[in-house]
Amino acid sequence: MAEDLVLDRAIRDWVLIPLSVVMVLIGFLRYFVSKLMRSYQTPDRKVVKEGQVVLRARNLRVAAGFIPTKSFWSRRVYFTNEENGLLHVPKEQAQNPQAQMFSDPNMAMDMMKKNISMIVPQTLTFTWVNFFFSGFVAAKIPFPLTHRFRGMLQNGIDLSTVDVSYVSGRSWYFLNLFGLRGLFSLILGEENATDDAQRMMQMGGFGFDPTKSLSAEKDSLDIIQHEWILPKMEKRAEDVLKKLLK
Amino acid sequence: MVGAEEAARLDRLEIQVENGGGGAWEYLCLVRKLKPRRSDKVLKHGLAILNDPKARSNLGGEEWTLYEQVAFAAFDCQQHNVAKVFSLSLSLPLHIKSEKHLMDCVAVLSKEFPGSLRVGRLEGMLLEAENSWAEAEKVYARLLEDNPLDQIIYKRKVAIAKAQGDLKVAVDFLNKYLEIFMSDHDAWRELAEIYVSLQMYKQAAFCYEELLLSQPTVSLYHLAYAEANESQCIEYSGFIILLFLRFLLTAFIEQVLYTMGGLENLLTAKKYYASTITLSGGKNTRALYGICLCSAAISQLTKGRSKEEKESSDLPSLAAEALLRDYKYRAPKKLPLLNSMLKNMKLSS
Repeated sequence: MAEDLVLDRAIRDWVLIPLSVVMVLIGFLRYFVSKLMRSYQTPDRKVVKEGQVVLRARNLRVAAGFIPTKSFWSRRVYFTNEENGLLHVPKEQAQNPQAQMFSDPNMAMDMMKKNISMIVPQTLTFTWVNFFFSGFVAAKIPFPLTHRFRGMLQNGIDLSTVDVSYVSGRSWYFLNLFGLRGLFSLILGEENATDDAQRMMQMGGFGFDPTKSLSAEKDSLDIIQHEWILPKMEKRAEDVLKKLLK
Repeated sequence: MVGAEEAARLDRLEIQVENGGGGAWEYLCLVRKLKPRRSDKVLKHGLAILNDPKARSNLGGEEWTLYEQVAFAAFDCQQHNVAKVFSLSLSLPLHIKSEKHLMDCVAVLSKEFPGSLRVGRLEGMLLEAENSWAEAEKVYARLLEDNPLDQIIYKRKVAIAKAQGDLKVAVDFLNKYLEIFMSDHDAWRELAEIYVSLQMYKQAAFCYEELLLSQPTVSLYHLAYAEANESQCIEYSGFIILLFLRFLLTAFIEQVLYTMGGLENLLTAKKYYASTITLSGGKNTRALYGICLCSAAISQLTKGRSKEEKESSDLPSLAAEALLRDYKYRAPKKLPLLNSMLKNMKLSS
């Protein structure tokens, strides 16, 4: 049970290293393919304007103390008033982002392309790994694991007495999948299509959902109490000058 | 934002290149990244590289960026009239001075990248540099049709209007631009300066407020806002005289109101001068002057009124002292002038 299995050096030569090399090569391939397939999306005027509005509203919120109260109020009304405030989105326009996505053919194509370039190589590589590199112990993980991981990591090793730390090739694949991200950003520069993990995190929220960000900004602007910090500045200027003249 | 380290590196490279050491290409890359306005140096060294066929082929794909950069620098230095012929097909310089005709830069680029937006912009700028405004506007209008969201073309249109002296049209264009791209603080700054030159101080103050919101730690904007407010007060006082001459009774009421307006503006201006002093550590001479002038003006306006007891702060006297010390250090000859002016202000307050 707690015996140490001695792993053949050949495993390292013929399993671990080739698997890593193959993943790196596939990463390069995906990078270049994505560069070729990238379609230049012309930004929509409305989207640009909304982005800028959000930026401006955020500036107003953050630095509100620097302008006089009257100007702050007039700006706030400009942004949040019910009739034609910039941040106000009437209920009907609050489109369901899902519906928007499917109705806009360009966006749908884009999503499809991104998905394909990510999912297909992953699936293929995974299948390949499972086919070739299963059924034997490939490596030993240096820390102990619980028995739950057995099903995932010990693919094909049907002995329940083998310590869970001894894993098959599948775990090496997963390790590489997340670990090579750093390597790719070194070699290929910051922005590359191999950022699977990052992309998976982004999948949750559609980036430019304008209605939500606008209403979020509007709410935060409504809450603010304006406090003009300039009067304190006079006192501070006195102190500065006093120190300067000492 | 330019870091201090990069600025130092730029200066070092400049000195090195000027004195004949290598590194011209590195210098040009850094200039392109940091965007300081060193057009004469860029022109000189860029042309040196472009005219040397070996150096040019070393650049590979970057050659075209260099052409664009040299073209911009030449626009700035107005070298478009320099007619030295550079025969591209033969790659042989036929002259001694090695200066490339600007048309060639643009022609080369448009041959290589026909129908491209960047080259189209260059062509428009070439027409601008030759003062053919109508043609340039046509080119820009055409480009805008295809690329309605290009910021630089909008700004070029504003520049054309400004160069023709048509400030109202320039203001118009800028406003339209800012409707879409409202967080572009350079554009706000330009608009503020145009308003100040048109003496529309209220609108200028609005623009400076925008700038303050986006970059609250830049002392320049505080200063400019204070001055816009102070000038607004002067505007109001001009108003007072006019109205007083025309309507007698109503003028009295309005005088109070406008003086109130003027007083409020002065108080605001004083606060912003104070914040400029804080941000600049007391070294900004204009702000120190501003404090003295504001306090003098405020005390003059509130002379008759006893209800608002302004807290007597040391700020004006401190500012005066700081000014005196500054002048003693840097311009001792003007010291008596300063002395007399300060005495005047203290007397009248």
